[in-house]
Amino acid sequence: MNTILLIAKKEIQIAIRQRLITALAIVIMSLLSVALYAGYVAYDQQRTLIEQAHEDNRKEWLEQGDKHPHIAAHYGTFVFKPKTILSLFDFGLDTYTGTSVYLEAHYQHEFMFRPAQAHSSMIRFGELSAALVFQVLIPLLIIFLAFQAFTQERENGTLKLLVSQGISYTPIIWGKILAYLSILLTIVVPFFIVAFVLSALVNDSDSIPDVGLRVFFLILIYLVYLAIFVAFSVWVSIRSSTGRNSLLTLLTCWILFMIIIPKTTANFGESFYPLPSMKIYREAIQRDIKNGLDNRTSKTVREEKLKEEYLKRYKVDSIHKLPLNFEGVRMQKGEDYGNMVYDIHKDSLIDLFNRQNRISSLSSFVSPYLAVRNLSMGLTATDLNTSIHFQRETENYRRELVRKMNNDMAQNSKYGEFYEYKANKNLWETVKDFQYTTITGYDILSLYFIELLSLICWGIFVFVLLSYSSRKMKLVL
Amino acid sequence: MLETIDLTKKYGDFTALNSLNLKIKEGEIFCLLGANGAGKSTTINLFLNFIKATHGKAMINGMDVSKHVKETKQMLSYIPENLMLYKNLTGLENLRFFCGLGGKNQSKDELVDLLEESGLQTDFIHKRVSSYSKGMRQKVGIALARARGAKVLLLDEPTSGLDPKASNEFSELLLSMKERGVTTLMATHDLFRAKDTGTHIGIMKEGVLLEKFESKDVSFQDLERLYLKHMHN
Repeated sequence: MNTILLIAKKEIQIAIRQRLITALAIVIMSLLSVALYAGYVAYDQQRTLIEQAHEDNRKEWLEQGDKHPHIAAHYGTFVFKPKTILSLFDFGLDTYTGTSVYLEAHYQHEFMFRPAQAHSSMIRFGELSAALVFQVLIPLLIIFLAFQAFTQERENGTLKLLVSQGISYTPIIWGKILAYLSILLTIVVPFFIVAFVLSALVNDSDSIPDVGLRVFFLILIYLVYLAIFVAFSVWVSIRSSTGRNSLLTLLTCWILFMIIIPKTTANFGESFYPLPSMKIYREAIQRDIKNGLDNRTSKTVREEKLKEEYLKRYKVDSIHKLPLNFEGVRMQKGEDYGNMVYDIHKDSLIDLFNRQNRISSLSSFVSPYLAVRNLSMGLTATDLNTSIHFQRETENYRRELVRKMNNDMAQNSKYGEFYEYKANKNLWETVKDFQYTTITGYDILSLYFIELLSLICWGIFVFVLLSYSSRKMKLVL
Repeated sequence: MLETIDLTKKYGDFTALNSLNLKIKEGEIFCLLGANGAGKSTTINLFLNFIKATHGKAMINGMDVSKHVKETKQMLSYIPENLMLYKNLTGLENLRFFCGLGGKNQSKDELVDLLEESGLQTDFIHKRVSSYSKGMRQKVGIALARARGAKVLLLDEPTSGLDPKASNEFSELLLSMKERGVTTLMATHDLFRAKDTGTHIGIMKEGVLLEKFESKDVSFQDLERLYLKHMHN
């Protein structure tokens, strides 16, 4: 252990005295600071805006005045996806999935106000977030830090001197890995401290109740990711004959891991499981609602059947004689059928997304970047799963709102009394305010089991490579 | 102290060292002379266990170097033709680091004294090794050997490329090590240095030790004649 520490200390001393490494470390720290600041400003602004808009909309709903419940159902309301504190670290898909949705009867509206819509194409694919720095730029620093780990010792002849002191390659390897990890920790720990203080200052337990757990796993996963890169870079340096070869190999791997594999898998996903256009998707839903899922039970047929069923149930010969407003029943049944059709189409769309994402998940076995990218988005609640969960919650809320309006109409008004009957604030208050809470961190981790497994496999893989190489390593005399 | 028994190293069909039998007693300085490819460096590399012997064994203090790697390496210090230290560290930092690896934890003052005694100019002790000449690096090597309390010195062409003054200083350092009972095996092309510093001399050619004798038994002229005779045959 003493030997490992000695070697680590020596490596740190040398790295500090190398201007390139110091310069790169300063650049990384600056980028992290800028990303953190920009993330916090964006978070703070959006949170304030969303909270204000949420409050205004709730007030508007409650104070919309007396009106027919169905008009209120169309009057609708907006719900907003709360900005979580963790999103200042990783913007994830938040930029693309939208922050608010208008809820009304009969329609499932699209999410609006996607920040990406306002960005130029240059920014759209490369926003500076702390996650981007951790996932893409710090591995680059690691490469510059470690590519010469062994090649330089060999080229300069110091490896011979080291080995002649009676120490084996194993402590040399681990000493170097410990040194590079210590340098990285020195760079990232101040960032984590500031981020931790910021998250403590902002009480965000409403929308994301298990922040602590998520942060713990986030730090753990990033540390494992960076350790994998360090160990891999050292291994490449062991196997390379010259520093130039080592650097070229590592930069090639970086391009493969960060650009080629992610882009290729995304393209494969789209080719194998193409998504329908929004127009086709919407038209298919409307067609199935109109003609029925079996293409035989049209809306008119369904309504006629419903009418007969109610006349039979209440043993009357006219809907005017029913003890309830048949219009309310008809609307709710129409809503239920529309929801069923919507769910079928939505589920098949999500299934396509999941199939596409599965390719990306499985590809994390060849690119650890994909594993950490997906896990990071998941843990910061900015991933597709959280977005789908939020959409489901809003849809459930919309259905509950419409159901309450239709039931009130059915129970308290008479058939044909559309303008005569008016509900008041008492009814609006029965619709609870929309409060979103994310799925738990553990549930998120279970959704990213493949990515977790791939990170573990990468860890074991580089450990085995290093152990094997330390045994087989030979001096070039 | 140093012994080889039928020590042989082959690379395929090529024999780099052929059945070397050698005994070097404590406090002796044994100089191996020979042209390039004679097997001098191979012998040193075998003692260092950098390469494995095809046949026979190399022993330090009665221990086979391939079986007692750690123990034998703790007894020796190695100075190659071009002693490369960490350029971004000072001479003192290099010395402290390598001493630490050998489990020796001398104080800073002790290490400074050792460097000065080894002839390194005081104002260079705290300068980075990148500004050192080859002779200065060799002096750090000697300081390291002394700091580690090495009983054996393995030197591979240590004076090659040194100016006469630096070369002379290095010889003096070797003799002072000899006085402390350190056993030295030195591979060299330098006949004058071998005669001047060595207690024993061996002449090697094509992996074979052709002749060995005490340096006091031959004059420099005899040594030169003998060497050239073997080289021309």
